[in-house]
Amino acid sequence: MKFTQYFGLRILTWALTIWIGVTFIFFVPRMFPSDPVENMIGRIQSRSGQMDPLEMESLRKSLRVQFGLEGSLLEQYVSFLKKGLLQFDFGPSLMSFPTPVGDIIKTYLPYTLGLMLMTTVLAWIIGNFIGLQAGFRKDRLSSKFLEGVAICIYPVPYFIVALVLQIVFAFLLGWFPLQSTIITMGGFGTFIRTLLRASVLPAVSLLLVGTGWWIISMKSLSGTVSEEDFVLYARYRGLSEQKIGQSYVLRNSIITQVTALAMSLGGVFSGSIMTEIIFGYPGVGTLIQKAILQSDYNMILGCITISIVAIATATLIVDLIYPLIDPRIRYS
Amino acid sequence: MLKVENLSTSYKTIDGDVHVLKDLNFEIYENEIFGIAGESGCGKTTLLKVLYDIIDFPLKIDGGRVLLSGKKNGDSFSYESGTIREAWWKNISYVPQAAQSVLNPITRLKSQFLDSIPEEEKKNESKEETLERVAKYLEELSLSRDLLDAFPFQLSGGMRQRVIIALATFMSPNVVLADEPTTALDVVVQRGILMMLMRLQRELQNTLVVVSHDMGVHYQVTKRMGIMYSGSFAELGTTDDIFDDPIHPYTKMLIGALPRVGDKSQKVGIPGRPPSLTDPPPGCRFAPRCPHPGEICGRDVPEFREVRPGRFVACHFSEKVMSDDTKASGS
Repeated sequence: MKFTQYFGLRILTWALTIWIGVTFIFFVPRMFPSDPVENMIGRIQSRSGQMDPLEMESLRKSLRVQFGLEGSLLEQYVSFLKKGLLQFDFGPSLMSFPTPVGDIIKTYLPYTLGLMLMTTVLAWIIGNFIGLQAGFRKDRLSSKFLEGVAICIYPVPYFIVALVLQIVFAFLLGWFPLQSTIITMGGFGTFIRTLLRASVLPAVSLLLVGTGWWIISMKSLSGTVSEEDFVLYARYRGLSEQKIGQSYVLRNSIITQVTALAMSLGGVFSGSIMTEIIFGYPGVGTLIQKAILQSDYNMILGCITISIVAIATATLIVDLIYPLIDPRIRYS
Repeated sequence: MLKVENLSTSYKTIDGDVHVLKDLNFEIYENEIFGIAGESGCGKTTLLKVLYDIIDFPLKIDGGRVLLSGKKNGDSFSYESGTIREAWWKNISYVPQAAQSVLNPITRLKSQFLDSIPEEEKKNESKEETLERVAKYLEELSLSRDLLDAFPFQLSGGMRQRVIIALATFMSPNVVLADEPTTALDVVVQRGILMMLMRLQRELQNTLVVVSHDMGVHYQVTKRMGIMYSGSFAELGTTDDIFDDPIHPYTKMLIGALPRVGDKSQKVGIPGRPPSLTDPPPGCRFAPRCPHPGEICGRDVPEFREVRPGRFVACHFSEKVMSDDTKASGS
């Protein structure tokens, strides 16, 4: 297979994944028995008492436009694809009406992506490094110790780790705020300071749990590769242990880990919800939670669409990196 | 020169020790091709591993040692079991069994060649110069220099084996150990590989040890050979002698089972199975399958002794067999 063909196929898969995902989230809410417009009107009525039927009709109509529920199903679908995917326009947010959903997501997205990508990738690097030591040099005391730590931390549920950190460092010691605000106004220094204060605890919690998994998986992978014929033969050729570790064991086991990294990047958004709620971190996760609690349909659709696009793109990038690290893919 | 003295090894297993090599004593000389033959499980590969000093758990040396000595570039060297590792690739190299999977699947061959050349051998030259030397060497062996840019999975099985042989001989080692170098290859490729090994040995004037269960390979390639049975040598001598005039009953039956051009007689295998190595029979280990066992065979282990100059046999009745054979051929 030529590289252009490989490239083309990946792009096609990427587009198809996004299309199928978006189509799914378009149709599923429309199959619900409850109608968001009627819900909304019901809420308004319960707050403001009886309304003029004519006024109510025009309210209903404008709400249908806002929710993108006008016209036949096909028309709605086409306009959803056009507006949502191409222009990133999901209509106004209903909880902070009339700010467009797109604008709100744009302000929150960098915080979530920054925190989650940074910790996922960092955990991957640290975990693989330690895991390689533990798998390749099984007899070392330090390998055994680090592996033991990983095995102890890994099975602890994430929310326990997060809550313990929050209770100890934010509540008892008061080193970090219970509820974070990141101040964007008032200069770069303030911004960085508040950003760090807000993200240290969530980052540490994610790193602790994430690294454990990478250590365990890399340990078993590199342990298996270390027993392969080509590693034994490298040893019989008198190669140094360092050389064998780097270009024989690491390079052959990292391929699997790159795939696993792509998979875990896919879980970035769902993972961010719990982190952000527990630490009161302002990001897409808290946004999704609020949107769900307040039935902000446009916001929910917007957030899910963004996460579908982001996950598909992360997978695409990894797929494109893959041939660079595995020549068997490049030449077959 | 490789010298094996009173070598005994065993594998540690949960069912007890498996005694794979027992009291081996023999020598492999400089500038010769030595063959080790025998059926699966008789200890050929174990012997080769011990010769190369790969003693990893569960294999253990119970007694004796292997001596590796010789001269390279005017300097004489001497190593023994435990230190042979220091001579790896410079003085002794190894062409493994299952050569199909011994190359790193994801790096180009040139980096695997570079990896295998010790630092002190390439300190005075640039990477390009070293690679140029390797490329020239490949061309000497009638291999393309383009191979250096290839990945292992792009090569056929025969080509991979050739590359490994090139890799193992590039440093002109004094001893090359080849474990089943032609297994899993068709006869045409097999012939090519054997010719390559023989040519290299002729040019390097070194020692080549070939392990194979294929008697045809030994007939074509080796000058002297040893026939192994159940962890020790049954017979050892020049290849021509062993094929023309086998003495040990096992060798006799083995040679008798080989098809020859023009011979239309029905060939028979050797009845029975090799003995268990965890619980070997007392006395001669071949006795249960021997066509003419004597009373002594079930009791005493036959000594591996020199029955003729350069000819060693482990059978209580070697002299009787030899005189019977002379009578038979004389009448």
